[in-house]
Amino acid sequence: MFLWVVRHGRWLARVPLMPQLFDALLLGWTALFQRGRVHAMDALEAGALALPGVTLRIHRLGGIEFRRAGRELGHVHGHGLLDVRLPRAEASELLAAKRVRPHHVMSRSGWVSFLLESEADVPFAVELLRRAGKALEGEASS
Amino acid sequence: MVIPPPLPDPPPSSRRPTSKNAFVWLLGALVSDAVMGGLYALVAWLTVGHSVGSPLVAPSLFLVPFFGGLLASLLWRRAQPSIWDTAGYVLGATFIALIGAALAYAEGVICLIIVSPLFYGVMLAGALVGRVWFRSDMGKLRVSFAPLAIVALAAVAEPHFRSEHEGSVTDMLVVRASPSRVWRHVTSFPPISAKPDFWMFRIGLPYPVETTSAGDFVGADRRCIFSGGAVFREVVSECVPSTRLTFDMVELPDDPELIGHLTPRRGQFELRDNGDGTTTLVGTTWYSLHVHPRWYFDGWTQHIFRAVHLRVMEDVKRRAEQP
Repeated sequence: MFLWVVRHGRWLARVPLMPQLFDALLLGWTALFQRGRVHAMDALEAGALALPGVTLRIHRLGGIEFRRAGRELGHVHGHGLLDVRLPRAEASELLAAKRVRPHHVMSRSGWVSFLLESEADVPFAVELLRRAGKALEGEASS
Repeated sequence: MVIPPPLPDPPPSSRRPTSKNAFVWLLGALVSDAVMGGLYALVAWLTVGHSVGSPLVAPSLFLVPFFGGLLASLLWRRAQPSIWDTAGYVLGATFIALIGAALAYAEGVICLIIVSPLFYGVMLAGALVGRVWFRSDMGKLRVSFAPLAIVALAAVAEPHFRSEHEGSVTDMLVVRASPSRVWRHVTSFPPISAKPDFWMFRIGLPYPVETTSAGDFVGADRRCIFSGGAVFREVVSECVPSTRLTFDMVELPDDPELIGHLTPRRGQFELRDNGDGTTTLVGTTWYSLHVHPRWYFDGWTQHIFRAVHLRVMEDVKRRAEQP
């Protein structure tokens, strides 16, 4: 459902509040049928906020965005899909190891996706955000 | 690159519910629901000149619940609800809002069932956005009030800038009988004996039972009687025997499930001779939809009219095909 809307309904993102509504409906559905994912999202949020300098924001395409020093580290959608931007080499390695999946829109960028299924997935998800933060640090210093 | 070992467990995702949090939830739910109800009343009062039948007709059921969700999250911020908590808080607030709408605005149960998924989804969207917005410090919080005010103003102003939606629903059915034989059962029909099989009819939405007619001529008075005694008074505006019957709906029943939200304007039966002893029966209803957002309610309207058409048309088919 999520992928179908992302591929065929991208114009909806231009309608004010529509991405937020879609994400809320995804979350409502997930809370009903996959509550473990919602608990994992809560744990991810808490874990991300424990990282230095990380703040939250509403993502422009729906979901919660994790930011550091005014730049996006990643965002999590209402069904527990975490999108993170990593250096390409790291992204390729994680993809090859099948720890993450290609991003649902930008498959050949540094963006990768990781689906939270339960709280057991949270440490790895937080680690992905930590790495995204480290990569941003490296970009800023170079 | 080596895949790193897992980090220590993150902080617990949800706090245990406390009586203080329950109070904060209830206060937020009641205040946001009351403000949303007030917005409905205000918009209805401001749009009296637009001949809107019911208060819930006037304001957008997208903007108002979104505003309600934002407001509720502002009041809930003391409880620091998690995402899971917010989904539950909004569910409770939605339930209270629907009971309030039934009591304050005499909304029918079916209407509330139709509205509830949209209301919950939009209020949840508002609450999730507000949960992130309002978690910042008080200095930023003052800035956050601006979007809250903008959404409230948009909800009040929106009905003044919309145009009424006119729509139509058409259904077709092949009847194994000649047009002249089908015609006899179209102009009027005795009580339909079949039990309703459409799920909304089963839970209380009025469904067509019988139609009476003063005759096959333009200006003839028709009465379409629905379950529960609801009567639609109609006047024949076009009558071409064995071909087409068109009627205007001139008086609608005072039923909380029907009144105000949409107005059926005109109905038509068209009989197309297929030349092989069968007839294609085409039923059409034209209507005006008063509830918004249109993209949500128009789908429901078409779904319901389709069920009304098919109940009548299948009865016509059954009678016309009888030897």
